[in-house]
Amino acid sequence: MLSYRPGSTFAHRLDPRSKLLVQFGLAIAAVAHPTPLWLVGTTAFALGTLAAARLSPLAVLRSYRVVLAVLALAPLIAGIALGPPWFRVEPALRSALYVGRILPVLFVSAAYLTSTPVRDTRAAVQRLIPGKPGQILGVGMALVVRLFPLVLADVREVRDAIHARGGETRPLWERARLLAVRSLERTLDRSDRLSVALRARCFAWNPTLPPLSFERRDYPVLAVGVALALSPLIPV
Amino acid sequence: MATEQSVDLVDDETVGWFTKAVLIAALTAALAQISIPLPGPLPPFSLQPFGMFFAGLVLGPLWGGVALLLYLLVGIAGVPVFSNGSAGLGYVIAGEGTGGFLIGFLVGAVVAGAIAHRSTTPRPVADLSVPVQVAALVASVAVVYAIGVPWLSMVTGLSLVRAATVNAPFVPLDLVKLGIAIAIVEGGYLSGR
Repeated sequence: MLSYRPGSTFAHRLDPRSKLLVQFGLAIAAVAHPTPLWLVGTTAFALGTLAAARLSPLAVLRSYRVVLAVLALAPLIAGIALGPPWFRVEPALRSALYVGRILPVLFVSAAYLTSTPVRDTRAAVQRLIPGKPGQILGVGMALVVRLFPLVLADVREVRDAIHARGGETRPLWERARLLAVRSLERTLDRSDRLSVALRARCFAWNPTLPPLSFERRDYPVLAVGVALALSPLIPV
Repeated sequence: MATEQSVDLVDDETVGWFTKAVLIAALTAALAQISIPLPGPLPPFSLQPFGMFFAGLVLGPLWGGVALLLYLLVGIAGVPVFSNGSAGLGYVIAGEGTGGFLIGFLVGAVVAGAIAHRSTTPRPVADLSVPVQVAALVASVAVVYAIGVPWLSMVTGLSLVRAATVNAPFVPLDLVKLGIAIAIVEGGYLSGR
């Protein structure tokens, strides 16, 4: 899968807040008008963002191949007719156009996540959402990123322990119940320890944030994000 | 002096709910990576909905929603937390035809929490009656489909009926998961929390 790559491309140098806005703006714009011309426009824009992040479109297609393969089934399913002529082209083409709209969204989100470290997104979330909710979500994101590998290792350990005790011979519902309950118990034990650790370290509502710099180059990107988000209002 | 700022500590109760939400977000991410292989042509049995079930029952509507929102945000930020190690906003929207289900898990956790706790302050699971918890779980699964099916139809251009037909094979598996969750509730496995 694609993940953050250090670099100094135009996309890397932008502020995460303007990039987030462009990403959400494009997701809105992509589904705004289901016409071929609009699809060409949004795809061209998305290829531009990939160029700004120096990311090959082929690499994106490869990493999302399972998603794309499943989505490619939709036009086939849409075209099937119960009775002659068995396959109708018009609904299949309509579905293909709808599925095609997803491609630019995948491109732009790939450009975002390869050019933005997770902690930048966390800082952006914390600054964009004011007050305590922003604090909770920002600090929460950082902690989830840190704890996800540990919890995943816990769940795998539980699964291996069930296997070691001949778990495969037990019925599915019993295995699933054991795995879910034991994993939850371990997870909540971790939560108790984390809670003690945070309180011991004076977990506060007003800590110092990592610096973000919104510079001159960010303003045009911000304007593009706003324009994309408002594009459903444009008559085509 | 203007440069001095007093430290505004987070109260102990909030820290407790916050860390539970964080850990259940991490558990949802972990369960999305684990599946039990089923025999024959059946799809693997994923445990991902249990993240939503536990978030709603243990954390209530507010903190359960925070847990699932954190899960989605971390995935959008690029951490491979969605099934098969996927990430990105594009995956949340499209998925493997399952994009709406991720949003459905978020709303489902809030709905389950609201039914089970009827307040934003969660109560201990032992204080909740079993029928209310079962109703909360059933409602959360219904919400996931109520959001997932129209979403699939919107993303793929399939009619609602076709989108529902495509999802139909997954309904029995989700009913099994619902049954396991109900057995966990009735067995009192969550009552210590």
